[in-house]
Amino acid sequence: MISQILAVVIFLAMFALIISEKLERHYITLGCGALMLILVFGFCMKSMDAVINTLSIHSLFQPGFWYTGNAASEGSTGINWETILFIAGMMIMVEGLGKAGFFRWLCLQLAGMVHYRPVPIFLTFMIMSAFLSMFIDSITVILFLSAVTVELCHLLHCNPVPMILSEIFCANLGGSATMCGDPPNIIIGTSLGLTFGDFLSNTGVMAGVSLIVTVVYFYLCFHKELAASGKTATSAEHYPDPAEAITDRKEFLSSTAVFAIAVILLVTHAITGLTVSSIGVLIAVLTLLIQHRHAKELLRKVDYKTLLFFIGLFVVVSGLEQTGVLKIIASFISKASGSNTMLMAAIILWISAVASAFIDNIPFAATMLPVIKSLSAVQGADLSMLAWTLSMGTDIGGSATPIGASANVVGISVSSREGHPIGWGAYCKYSAPATILVVAISMICIYIRYF
Amino acid sequence: MNQQLIVSVGREFGSGGHEIAACLADRLNLKLYDHNLLDEIAHEQELDSAVLHRYDEKPRRLFLSRNENGYSSSAEVSVACLQFEYLKRKAEDGESFVVVGRCAETVLQQFPGLVSFFIVGDPEIKCARIRNLYHLTEKEALHKMQRHDQYRKKYHNYFCADRWGDSRTYDLCVNSSRLGIEGTADLLETYIRNKRKIQGTADTASREELP
Repeated sequence: MISQILAVVIFLAMFALIISEKLERHYITLGCGALMLILVFGFCMKSMDAVINTLSIHSLFQPGFWYTGNAASEGSTGINWETILFIAGMMIMVEGLGKAGFFRWLCLQLAGMVHYRPVPIFLTFMIMSAFLSMFIDSITVILFLSAVTVELCHLLHCNPVPMILSEIFCANLGGSATMCGDPPNIIIGTSLGLTFGDFLSNTGVMAGVSLIVTVVYFYLCFHKELAASGKTATSAEHYPDPAEAITDRKEFLSSTAVFAIAVILLVTHAITGLTVSSIGVLIAVLTLLIQHRHAKELLRKVDYKTLLFFIGLFVVVSGLEQTGVLKIIASFISKASGSNTMLMAAIILWISAVASAFIDNIPFAATMLPVIKSLSAVQGADLSMLAWTLSMGTDIGGSATPIGASANVVGISVSSREGHPIGWGAYCKYSAPATILVVAISMICIYIRYF
Repeated sequence: MNQQLIVSVGREFGSGGHEIAACLADRLNLKLYDHNLLDEIAHEQELDSAVLHRYDEKPRRLFLSRNENGYSSSAEVSVACLQFEYLKRKAEDGESFVVVGRCAETVLQQFPGLVSFFIVGDPEIKCARIRNLYHLTEKEALHKMQRHDQYRKKYHNYFCADRWGDSRTYDLCVNSSRLGIEGTADLLETYIRNKRKIQGTADTASREELP
């Protein structure tokens, strides 16, 4: 009982400190993780096994960590090293792509293809944002996309805010379509032994349907404003040349090839048996070999703070799991739904969406994951159905508010720094109804397909 | 005046700090930057100044904003940063000016021509001034004063390591209720001229010491 209370106190303190932003978030999760190991596992539970399970170092030396041989394997509890290695590998690859000028080139190329007309740019950038976010973290996608959007809008004499709002929304939506699109999906996928194909054929379908509705929705919201502003556009010779975005042609081609390899490896990983951790390491090594001149710089630019944040977070969540707190939450949801799995799915979907609109969806997903496992074990609900429900709820819910997802923060910040501030009112006016719409579509899809 | 002069005036709400700054700008024949800074930025970058003014000198809302790897969702923070960068650019270009608020004593601290003041006032006198200016009751004026001072304090302390109104941060902290607006402006003008004289002498001496 004491260990449970202590675990909850540490967890709540971690959340409160993350929200307060008094300290950098990796210090918070690592500090709270250390407290969990010492106070809960050490003093209260006196369990060395709990510490070993949580640190999960042994998982790195198991063959299944690197190669599953076509058989799905579930990750162990505690620190999810598979997620850490995959994200680190993707960070290096994305850094290499950005350095070679890939993202800027792609944006300008697409803008050129639609002859720099605001409404077609608006539509193509939305789709590109969703597509890129399926494979690359949405923060990077939005960082590059919003910067180019502001630049183009300045030339086209139109307000970049509508475009940035729709790009952010589509990036979050695209991220929900695949296993590697959004950190909650990576955590869910690696922990439950799900594949890229599993995600694509489940959350991917829901995201696809939602994307069509979203594009229509944002078009109806903004097409008049954009069409009117485009009439005073700059003459064609002032538009930036996509070729200028490429800093080194050889590195550009090879980085793009590595990206293509990463996509192929991810799409086929259920067939090849390679785990996402081995794919992460492979693409990181390839990027470093190709861009060996900048290898040190690429390694320096890896966001170690986020990786440490994840490590601390996994330890804290493991504390809740091993003390049985998450089982209590699961039984509460089970009672609230009265063993009705349809109601259970609705509760998970909407609670995840609402919570993710206001708090970081990564800790939320990591916490809810053992809860759905427990629900499945006790209630006999289909675990993968609950996983898709959790995934859609956490990924989409974050789009509702400016603070719901990292991509929102980055997009808003880029826009505001260029003199186009986006407040809560402007953001929620368009994105909150779109979020409710997409969550409702997801619920209908889940009901039609799994019940 | 050949050397660059930047006068930064921080102020409590109702202390007359803005009026004192305007008076100094007039006497020293310098440009005054206050909320007009955003109009200049908007004009230069073809932006909507009304939107920018909505977030001027406002503190970041703690639970309604989030930071992510150096990026902030707070429009207030971004608008403040726009102003800081603009002020720095002006200072780097060698322009002399008077600036009201906007953390200028910290943002421009690396410029040797900076002279920074903080204007305070007695609560009763500030309150009376606010009542006259905004046609408010005493209670309303007091509330407005407290609210604005709270905003300014939070805004300043978010961006600066030194606390708002801490005398160690500024050249001079003055209570405008003692000498009045004109009297305080006289005092500050004298301070600026004397400081410039000493600086000028020191500069000449150091130049003479050079081989």
